Amino acid sequence: MQHFAGYFVSAWGAIPAWVQYLLFTLGKILAIAVPVILSVAYLTYAERKVIGYMQSRIGPNRVGFRGLLQPFADVIKLMMKEVVFPANANRYLFFIAPVLSMMPAIAAWVVVPFFPNGSAANVNAGLLLILALTSLGIYGIIISGWASNSKYAFLGAMRSAAQMVAYEIAMGFAIVGVLMAAQTLNLGQIIQHQSGAFWHWYFIPLAPLVVVYFVSAVAETNRLPFDVAEGESEIVAGFHVEYSGMAFAVFFLAEYANMILVSALASIMFFGGWLSPFEGIPYIGAPSAGWLFLKIGILLFLMLWFRATFPRYRYDQIMRLGWKVFIPVTLVWIFVEGAFLIVHLPPWFS
Amino acid sequence: MSPGAITYQALFYLFAAGIVFSGLRVITARNPVHSALFLVLALVNAAILWVQMGAEFLGIILVLVYVGAVMVMFLFVVMMLDINAATMRKGMTRYAPLGLIISGLIAAEIGWALWGHYLGIANTPHTAVAPAGISNTEELGRALYTHYIYVFEIAAVILLLGIISAIVLTLRWRPNTRRQDINQQLRVHKTSDHMRLVDLRDNSRGRKES
Amino acid sequence: MLQNYLTVLIFIGAGIAIGAILIVVGLLLAPHRPDDEKDSPYECGFEPFDDSRLRFDIRYYLVAILFIIFDLEIAFLFPWAVSLQKIGLTGLFAMAVFLAILIVGFIYEWKRGAMEWE
Repeated sequence: MQHFAGYFVSAWGAIPAWVQYLLFTLGKILAIAVPVILSVAYLTYAERKVIGYMQSRIGPNRVGFRGLLQPFADVIKLMMKEVVFPANANRYLFFIAPVLSMMPAIAAWVVVPFFPNGSAANVNAGLLLILALTSLGIYGIIISGWASNSKYAFLGAMRSAAQMVAYEIAMGFAIVGVLMAAQTLNLGQIIQHQSGAFWHWYFIPLAPLVVVYFVSAVAETNRLPFDVAEGESEIVAGFHVEYSGMAFAVFFLAEYANMILVSALASIMFFGGWLSPFEGIPYIGAPSAGWLFLKIGILLFLMLWFRATFPRYRYDQIMRLGWKVFIPVTLVWIFVEGAFLIVHLPPWFS
Repeated sequence: MSPGAITYQALFYLFAAGIVFSGLRVITARNPVHSALFLVLALVNAAILWVQMGAEFLGIILVLVYVGAVMVMFLFVVMMLDINAATMRKGMTRYAPLGLIISGLIAAEIGWALWGHYLGIANTPHTAVAPAGISNTEELGRALYTHYIYVFEIAAVILLLGIISAIVLTLRWRPNTRRQDINQQLRVHKTSDHMRLVDLRDNSRGRKES
Repeated sequence: MLQNYLTVLIFIGAGIAIGAILIVVGLLLAPHRPDDEKDSPYECGFEPFDDSRLRFDIRYYLVAILFIIFDLEIAFLFPWAVSLQKIGLTGLFAMAVFLAILIVGFIYEWKRGAMEWE
């Protein structure tokens, strides 16, 4: 046994450094992409179960024990369905659109720290990189709407694009608030600045920004109550109305992966990421990835709860909330935070 | 050369070729939407090159602002106007000389800058590389908000101008649409604000109740 | 630093690859039987009439332009927020003036009803 381990260590050392790097990066991709895709699968299951119980139903319960294999059944079904390319659609763009909406949902995880020094790439401008990557998600929507050559798809794409744009501004301003407090764009350092027990986390001094960020994130991922982009009762599913089979599944996957991503970002920026709420107490006070996953889970549950509780907003109401409520709130709070910084308000700004 | 340097060079040429290729496709694509999308590709390639040169903040901002915002507007315009390529080509001969002059000017300027750089005429001092540990963004912030403070405020005025001109140019009120006025809705206090009581004469003679 | 960005680049490639592979798997496994009716654009059962690329309300351009301006503001705010402790009160004051000028624009936008959606 010892002999074998030693053999592997020396074999690993014999590989050139750049091959090591490539293997290592490949490992990171697998270690992130596989859990993300699995969590997406079980998020759809959780969504149906949670909303089911909230509406006095039991949700899926046929495939596997208590319906636990339901997501796989869904995926296999979608794989066997024909991918219809509409007549007069632009085939290349039609194919590229779902890929483009999927890319940021996977790639942005590269800078997310799961535990101390536990991110795939420790980039200084991490938060900015995530913002830039997620701002590319809009292309998937615009291109799909245009390439499908269908009125409904085009209408849905334009509405969805205008909505995402409005909320991206609010999100950006909310993030500026976090930066003012943390003085860094590096996600790992943002978490470290919040260390201490839970009253050191930024959700207290930045309370209005937490609300703005999270609600904008819900709007940005086109979730209820902001899902006029899909609005199945009015415009029959919006930008992906012409998509079927796996092409549709990729859009679906991207939406849910984005939900998990924004929840992860919210937990990192406002709720201390991998920090324990009971820091200082032995054992349960230790930082760990488990805390991050717990926080992400709670925020995701909130999103599902929103869907079960709130009726859909009207489009003009959505635009009003984005431009006339959230942007002024964040602007005011940036000034308030400036005052906090001048007086060095403890414990967050000292 | 070390593997790192080879990768660096290979990636540089890959993305530089990417810019040239997508730049060419921008002007040769028949469909204006395709042109706009190739411009997006060119900008992404340029951003990667900037990051490769160490300008991480500028590279990412290029993606955020140009790809994430400016090109989205371009696409909005191009897609919604539904420009017909044939009618656009009509003006080609008329605008060609002007276009040639402008592109010639730009080429001359770039050539001049490169010429000066390579012959050592312009003697541009090499910017000092930031010491490790200090982030690019922070360094930029320190310069921009202290040393270049007036330029920064002028940027604000230009942006203000942008807001006002965009609104003046494009905002039209359509008279016949109904919109919700929340203030008016909230101002309702008394019954008489939203309800009119009409006296109805009793003409059901003989069938009086109560 | 560059090696970290190479990892980012590889991840972006992986993101594209995952999406593309999933669709290609779907294309390979699923049947492909094109049909005129099936491939025609979906219009709730109606025969598709006129061009599907419609002209749009000018309001959407306005939203896009305002988005660019606010996005630029954010681009200015990011380095400011990060270097705030180093630049101190000067920096704080500089940004206060910057935002004050832009808030004038925001108020104008509000009063003219540019954020009103009909």
